[in-house]
Amino acid sequence: MGLDANLSLEQSLRMRLARAETRRQFLRRSQAGLGAIALASLMGRDARAADASPAANVPRKPAKAKSVIYLHMSGGPPQQDLFDYKPLLNKHHMQPCPDELLKGQRFAFIKGHPKMLGTPYKFARRGESGQWMSELLPHTAGVIDEAAVVRSMITTEFNHAPAELFIFTGSPRNGGAAMGSWITYGLGSENQDLPGFVVMVSGGTDPTGGKALWSTGFLPSVFQGVQCRTVGDPVLYVGDPKGMTRADRRRTLDALDRLNQIEAEEHGDPETLTRISQYELAFRMQASVPDVMDVGMEPESIREEYGATPGAASFANNCLLARRLVERGVRYVQLFDWGWDCHGTGAGDDIVQHLPQKCKDVDRPIAALVRDLKRRGMLDETIVVWGGEFGRTSMNEARGGSTFLGRDHHPHCFTLWAAGGGFKPGAAVGATDELGNSIVQDPVPVHDLQATILHLLGLDPFTFRFPYQGLQQRLIGVEDGVRIRKDLLV
Amino acid sequence: MNRTAACLVMATATAGFAAADDKVDYNRDVRPILSKNCFACHGSDESSRAADLRLDLRDEAVKAPKDGDPPIVPGDPDGSIAMERIVEEDDTLRMPPRKAGPRLAAEEVETLRRWIAQGAEYAEHWALVPPKAAPAPAASDPSWLRDPLDAFVLARIDAEGLKPSPEADRATLLRRLSLDLRGLPPTLDEARAFAADPSPDAYDRAVERYLADPAFGERWARPWLDLARYADSAGYGSDPLRTIWGYRDWLVGSLNANQPYDAFTVEQIAGDLLPNPTDRQKAATAFHRNTMTNTEGGTDDEEFRIAAIKDRVDVTFQAWMGLTMGCAKCHSHKYDPISHEDYYSAFAVFNQTADNDQPDESPVMPWINPEVAARQARLEAKLAELKSKLAASPDDKALKDEVAKVEKEKADVPTLPIMAELPADKRRVTKILMKGNFLDPGPEVGPALPKALGPKPDGPVDRMTLAKWLVDRRNPLTARVAVNRTWAVLFGSGIVETEEDFGTQGEPPSHPELLDRLAVDFMDSGWDVKGLVRRLATSATYRQSAKVAPEALEKDPKNRLLSHAPRVRLDAEQVRDQALALSGLLSRKVGGPSVFPVQPDGLWQAAFNGQRTWSTSQGADAHRRGLYTFWRRTVPYPSMASFDAPSREVCAIKRVRTNTPLQALVTLNDPVYVEAAQALGRRIVAEGGSTPEDRARLGLELVLGRPPRDEQVAPLVALHAAQLERYRDDPAAAAALATDPIGPLPEGADAADLAAWTAVANVLLNLDSVLTRG
Repeated sequence: MGLDANLSLEQSLRMRLARAETRRQFLRRSQAGLGAIALASLMGRDARAADASPAANVPRKPAKAKSVIYLHMSGGPPQQDLFDYKPLLNKHHMQPCPDELLKGQRFAFIKGHPKMLGTPYKFARRGESGQWMSELLPHTAGVIDEAAVVRSMITTEFNHAPAELFIFTGSPRNGGAAMGSWITYGLGSENQDLPGFVVMVSGGTDPTGGKALWSTGFLPSVFQGVQCRTVGDPVLYVGDPKGMTRADRRRTLDALDRLNQIEAEEHGDPETLTRISQYELAFRMQASVPDVMDVGMEPESIREEYGATPGAASFANNCLLARRLVERGVRYVQLFDWGWDCHGTGAGDDIVQHLPQKCKDVDRPIAALVRDLKRRGMLDETIVVWGGEFGRTSMNEARGGSTFLGRDHHPHCFTLWAAGGGFKPGAAVGATDELGNSIVQDPVPVHDLQATILHLLGLDPFTFRFPYQGLQQRLIGVEDGVRIRKDLLV
Repeated sequence: MNRTAACLVMATATAGFAAADDKVDYNRDVRPILSKNCFACHGSDESSRAADLRLDLRDEAVKAPKDGDPPIVPGDPDGSIAMERIVEEDDTLRMPPRKAGPRLAAEEVETLRRWIAQGAEYAEHWALVPPKAAPAPAASDPSWLRDPLDAFVLARIDAEGLKPSPEADRATLLRRLSLDLRGLPPTLDEARAFAADPSPDAYDRAVERYLADPAFGERWARPWLDLARYADSAGYGSDPLRTIWGYRDWLVGSLNANQPYDAFTVEQIAGDLLPNPTDRQKAATAFHRNTMTNTEGGTDDEEFRIAAIKDRVDVTFQAWMGLTMGCAKCHSHKYDPISHEDYYSAFAVFNQTADNDQPDESPVMPWINPEVAARQARLEAKLAELKSKLAASPDDKALKDEVAKVEKEKADVPTLPIMAELPADKRRVTKILMKGNFLDPGPEVGPALPKALGPKPDGPVDRMTLAKWLVDRRNPLTARVAVNRTWAVLFGSGIVETEEDFGTQGEPPSHPELLDRLAVDFMDSGWDVKGLVRRLATSATYRQSAKVAPEALEKDPKNRLLSHAPRVRLDAEQVRDQALALSGLLSRKVGGPSVFPVQPDGLWQAAFNGQRTWSTSQGADAHRRGLYTFWRRTVPYPSMASFDAPSREVCAIKRVRTNTPLQALVTLNDPVYVEAAQALGRRIVAEGGSTPEDRARLGLELVLGRPPRDEQVAPLVALHAAQLERYRDDPAAAAALATDPIGPLPEGADAADLAAWTAVANVLLNLDSVLTRG
């Protein structure tokens, strides 16, 4: 096919592709799909030939943060028992709810006229920033000075799946692209041997929103979150078949490579070359993934600090793994911990017995993660977010006359904190009324949070778009009115 | 997708700027600029209109407002305020505003200037003008043509200074045809017979054979199932399982029976409203029962019923007319002529069915496939026998219990959720939902069809009216969209590359006259779907080689001009089906309940509250075509997801094809593919003669559909030798690779040899040429 005599086949094909590519880029000017080059690099495709790192081709602003670790407490933690101190609510404990709190409200489970529910836990001002926190999170209290605490998060959804979809895809319905997908689409990955967007689950079940929460949606499927597991293959099919060693695999890949080279010469299809490089990447991942996913590689002191045990599917392990992944250049790590849906239908989901247990599961690892990142100088560039998908009511749910104490779903206010990566240490944003029922100061809608995270990563949330179904889709939705929250930032 | 768009831009740009006195074409040159940059604020959506100014209608754009000059003065670009604002140097005053987008590029400004100078003529969007069959253009090389469609393709290739490719060799052609028409590779016998058949109609006979193969319907069901968002689970929350496979079987049956596309349409949208509908016609309406339901505790059924109705509106217009209605849920479409009211009028058409987000998926009908019918007959006979015995001894308790048991078993038949219209006294009132919010209803609307999109129907509008309106010859889009989708399956991408969007935001067709000609001919043929597939598959365009000439790669890297056949990676289902077919494991059973092939332990255990057990299918059901794999929306079958199958939560018109390391891990290490390699290895040993070389040759011939060249054989012979030596020294490893998971060695077999051939077969199933259709 008339290859340039002095170039290898690969160089020659890549050169041609690059020339075509450059022309198309020129013609498309700045309307080019963002991340086309990021995509190329993630797909192992002519990144070198196009001679451009992702950063050079995305209209970027200066970035404070490089990566994100998002700690999601699936089910919706009760803010009144953890961060949002309401002495007046305690005073009205078990008194009938005032009528005006019920007017026009839809509840998931509360029926009739509920009673108010104070918190059984002691609150105190913690850290130098003096954040109000309950006694349930003593370790987190030790690092709370690193965080900006928002007591005025607000969502539009009061069922789990839609609310989680809203937080993680910007839309309460299935079909959108996950925040981690958006971010890896925009920024690419810093480690070619690992997926750019990793998801880990603890608490025994997936979050209610399911895998749609790390779906790539309308973005190319290469930006799908990859679920890593602490039991079985850390990434599906990363292990060679039984009876095949690494040397065996190497020899099979060498034969495959040889045959595919012959094909590439015959067909002249650059995609064949991409496939060859993807098999090589797969081979490297087979080594790098089990390596990064092995908490046994950490010194005992570190494992102890997190409370991590090799082989367990625990939140503690996932926190430690999140640090190991980010350390190696993974862009976005999403943890889901199931079990925060404290309705009080029994001892398994009430705020007296169950909630303290859940807090115990996550408190120490969270504090260890923040401290560990800080010690390693990584906290400046790593955003750590803690939160749920909505808040809980200041009323006792008492479903079916249950005598266990618990709270129903509540979209109108909840607490979330974010540390590192440019979030303002010690900031306390927003406030709710004296009964903890609605926001009286600085509401932070979900899209504002997302806009702020993108902003810190150097992505302009307003122009970071992808055309789909006739709309210029954005993580923050297509409507106006979203703000980057300067009050949360350094 | 943007790359292809760019290619078109390049093509139109060349055409548009060739000479300064060329006539500017509104649809081709101007609308894309206005649509992208201006219509969001100066278009059809009243609620977001800025400065009370519309640029999407000529009358409005040339009209002077009360206190000023008109934005566009035809013939006078310098006197047009719109131009003034566009070229405004002050970045805070220019249009579009900074917030909305970048400054227009110099050549865009120039296009607008010339357009205004030429009189600022508007034209209706091409897709809303009904297609007319244009005669084929004169061909530079008439001997190349096999069908009039080829002349349209050749004319574009000529115009861009490229050349069509020669016909592909016979082996390639047969493999392409077999994969495209039935989703399976040709068998060894088919490939050898075809290679040896010199008759001129050998290819046409192969086309007929594959069109008649029951596998045809299985293969062509795939794109429609994506679009129908078909899945075996309800979607939201715990994603409970749903029995709806009867719809999938209905679809495969319809495609195999070559049901005309108009009847196919009417039955799915409104089969229940046909006079005296048959069971099959009612079953077809399960199409719109593939919407998600939410059984999560504490949800509002009405909220999710409404979400399902919206989905039906969106999917109907998306699937049949290539239009995106989504944004009109909240406000009038900013780009296409679909108002907020239009949306809820269409919503009203669908708003009268009985289903309302119930966990039991009611209403349902029994779905009696031949297997179930046979079982029912058996149970009926048994019941008759038991009853006659009971008549003899009426007090026999055991006999009574037995009768009850069989009766219960007989009542337990598979069901299928269907559409059923509410009775007259239960009809719902439809209101426009402000910003799409079901808690914020606005004015009431009656059922109607979007005014700008097609002929106005007579009389009251219901689902039947809508269905007939879709397949009315005067509907400008339905035939074009159907033809384009079929084209995309056979040519890698559509004539309209944005298969999902024929609106003004979509890409214009690469070959507009060709698209229209095919659309008109399709309607003239009586909407003959297999006829359309036959026509495309026998064209000279289709039969070209897939080899890429360097000039073509440079000038037309995405092959929009079709100067060669596309080379595309197989679909997720095809990757699986092919591996099973080549290794001889594939079950060819058609239809029935979805099956549970091997997947890693514990995937389902993570799902919240729902059914947690994936009970792996045994026997032939472990090796069914991918189409039959149980499809749980929130826990997709891993290899499907890796190879870009959508989750089926929402309508997916086309799959993006990626090329990732996770795919390599699947076909190298997934036990399904390890087993296929083991079976293929055994087949090679059993059928491939006695020398490693002969065996390697057979392996390559099997997977590539052609006898291999020596240079392909050598690396495999060397790999076999190296692995044989290594496995001779490690019997445990040999036994593992030769038997786990496929099972014990055949009698007298050598474990080390089979392990070595398994490694070779693992390579064969991962060849780029095997994963790709060339």
